[in-house]
Amino acid sequence: MKNKKNILIVSLSVLLVVSSIVIYCGTYKEFMEGKDKTVTIGLFSDSYWEVQNGYSYCVLDDAIKLFEKQNPGVKVEYTSGILKEDYSEWLSGQLLSENAPDVFYVLADDFNNFAEIGVLADLSLFIKDDKDFNKKAFYSSAYAYGQYDGSQYGLPYECAPKLMFVNKSILDKEGIEVPDEEWTWDDFYSICENVTKDTDGNGTIDQFGVIGYTWEEAFESEGIKLFNQKGTKCDFTDDKIGKALSFIERLESINMGYSADSKDFDLGNVVFQPMSFSTYRAYKPYPLKVKKYTNFEWECIPMPAGPDGDNISTLDTLLIGMNKKSRNKDAAWDLIKTLTYNTKIQSEIFDYSEGVSVLKEVTESEQTLGQLVNGNSFSLAVLSNAVEEAVVVPRFRYYDEAISEVAQAVKAIIDGDYNISTGQIIWNRKINKYLKNSKWK
Amino acid sequence: MDNHKNPDYMLVIMKNLNLVIILYISLIMASSLSGYIYENSVYEFLAQVSYMPAAAWKIPVISCCLYASCLLIMLIKDAKGYKLVLKISFEIATGFFISCMLGFSYTGILLLIIADTMRFVPKLEQKFPFIVIICLFYFIADYDLVSSRYNLISLETYLGYYQSDIRSALLGIKNVTSSLNTFIFLIYMIMVVRIQMDEKERILELNNQLNSANSELQQANIQLEDYATESVKMAEMKERNRLAREIHDTLGHALTGIITGIEACTTLMDVAPEATKEQLKAIAEVARQGITDVRRSVNALRPDALEKSGLESALITLVKEMRSATSARIEYNFETSLNCFSDDEEDIIYRIVQECITNSIRHGKADKINIHISREFNLLKILIKDNGTGCGEIKKGFGLHHMEERLDMLHGSLDYNGKDGFTVEAKIPIRWGTEQNG
Repeated sequence: MKNKKNILIVSLSVLLVVSSIVIYCGTYKEFMEGKDKTVTIGLFSDSYWEVQNGYSYCVLDDAIKLFEKQNPGVKVEYTSGILKEDYSEWLSGQLLSENAPDVFYVLADDFNNFAEIGVLADLSLFIKDDKDFNKKAFYSSAYAYGQYDGSQYGLPYECAPKLMFVNKSILDKEGIEVPDEEWTWDDFYSICENVTKDTDGNGTIDQFGVIGYTWEEAFESEGIKLFNQKGTKCDFTDDKIGKALSFIERLESINMGYSADSKDFDLGNVVFQPMSFSTYRAYKPYPLKVKKYTNFEWECIPMPAGPDGDNISTLDTLLIGMNKKSRNKDAAWDLIKTLTYNTKIQSEIFDYSEGVSVLKEVTESEQTLGQLVNGNSFSLAVLSNAVEEAVVVPRFRYYDEAISEVAQAVKAIIDGDYNISTGQIIWNRKINKYLKNSKWK
Repeated sequence: MDNHKNPDYMLVIMKNLNLVIILYISLIMASSLSGYIYENSVYEFLAQVSYMPAAAWKIPVISCCLYASCLLIMLIKDAKGYKLVLKISFEIATGFFISCMLGFSYTGILLLIIADTMRFVPKLEQKFPFIVIICLFYFIADYDLVSSRYNLISLETYLGYYQSDIRSALLGIKNVTSSLNTFIFLIYMIMVVRIQMDEKERILELNNQLNSANSELQQANIQLEDYATESVKMAEMKERNRLAREIHDTLGHALTGIITGIEACTTLMDVAPEATKEQLKAIAEVARQGITDVRRSVNALRPDALEKSGLESALITLVKEMRSATSARIEYNFETSLNCFSDDEEDIIYRIVQECITNSIRHGKADKINIHISREFNLLKILIKDNGTGCGEIKKGFGLHHMEERLDMLHGSLDYNGKDGFTVEAKIPIRWGTEQNG
């Protein structure tokens, strides 16, 4: 009698525990809805590159058509109409309520956070098992963008390197040639020094050398690695940093206290401004459609190289990730591959978007782009090189906070009274202390 | 005794309180998460956390499921050995996972498990390892400790959804209830310890009582033994006095009478022979009277066996005793009932049989003795025959004389033959009137 009662108690409590596990893992959905044959994908309706674009779903729709042809019986669904500015919040809400799509686009700013809290599936296993997949087809820097803590959490979909925009009209007027693709800080500085002047003679400087060129661009082109891979240490005492800082200081001193903003560039009063290649693509081929810069001729070239660095900068990349809780991971992986690895789909990026394909083969053979850059001061190979060689920043959480800490240091050193090397030592300690504390946040 | 029920009530209170706290915390967490989603500030929330929390509704559901299973397992109170280990491991696991679900903001459920273990694991040496393990989990499950190793989402982060005044009120309620749980746990433990101490005291007291009772008993025993020896001595003394008195009263009296009578006769004999005759008759009468008195006295000293049971069973007992005392094979055959004799007859029959067996064994060295008692008309015939050495010429010892005398008193006769072993035959006339009584 007593034994029977105990058996009943034990089986009841085991049942409760099992149902807890089933609820926790979400396995119950399979019982309720049956084996799902639908793959959902989350994306935003406007362009990732902050430019006007009416073709947002074109590439995806073609990819879905191709995918459904290759995987009969599997349907792909997506929610349309989410703007990029709402996208992160929408996706977070869906993730928290466990309704997130199987596959979703991951904005560069969100990637570290999502990878850290474990909502992205580790794609390394799929990559290992998939014999058709070769990671060498991707630009290595773009591919490295999807890595976090040694695992591949996303594949790149499209990318764009940062380039230097040049106002050709001013240079023509001043009798200066547009610099070639291997120009250096010295070239950069001398041009800026020459063009900065008061043209109308009212006593204030109204023609400037550069705007928007910050310590970040200088650090990148000097080949400075600020943090280690895990973001636990910062080397702020490097000689290269000293060089970059003094270069920035010199560059700023040209303006003699006057400062320009992007409006001055739009008006045609500034020679240089760093911008994304996607902006170039958005405005260059369609002068009749978007008349943003009407009163001057303009061009774009790679970044000037520092004494110890190269003509490189960072790469902005849009990634695609897989939901860790997806119940249809194999189909999701196929869909990700269709979007990122299929040359036909990738070549559509040049038709409907402003970015650059992440596949070397596609970008280097692209007719449209070839026409676009040919006859300019740099070739397709230079662009391809700029993407391939782009700086890969370490991926760790609180990267943005760490960067703003460095920005604070740079500002303090340049504006401060003490010399650069002393400032470097002082701030090296402060930044490392910050990194140590943020690890326990 | 009623006192012993109090910890059980405390345990029930703790169980209910834990349910309330678990529900409260999980519902706060769930409502905060829903609130974040509703207010479109999930992204901000996720930027502060290090892992994805479970969907809002799952937290209370799973916590309650686990708690229910933990409570169910606590209902089993008779587990022993490996089952006990399994039971407590299960409780610890569920408790730990409930704490896990609640982001380690509440670990009081492990106190409940300690309390339950204290109550229903009987032996202290069994309790000890379990309690150490649970305490270990209790310390490990502490929020600050776990969050130093893994980045946990604190309850405060969840509560970040609420305004600061509501937030502090909610936190306050949580802290008060969880302190209440700890407080009840403390009281409970004190009660359990008190009960155990009481129990020990009670056992000690009982032990003392037992010891004193034991020593009293021992003393009483010694007294009793003393008393017994005393009373034996007293009985002996009494019997001696009685015998002395009897002898004095009967034999002494008669002998004195006889002596004086005979002295008178010696002087009278020549002077008046007729008177002497008369006198001798009187003396004989006195002697006879003396004999009667002596017999009466002796009667009072009958053998024990006869006193206790009838003649037949007394004889059988005698035979059995002799068998076991010697190696002789003693057979008996009683053809008639032996239960209808008067005391003196029984006495004599018993003595004759006893004497004969003793003689056969002592003098005849017999190893086989046959006792046959039968009846011929109104004569009881006792025939005792052995296969001993016998004897050619019979010298009447005290025993045979004694037997003859006794038989004389009953007007019986005694024959004996020393050839071919030794045979004794006694014949006793059965008195009229007693026969029918049997």
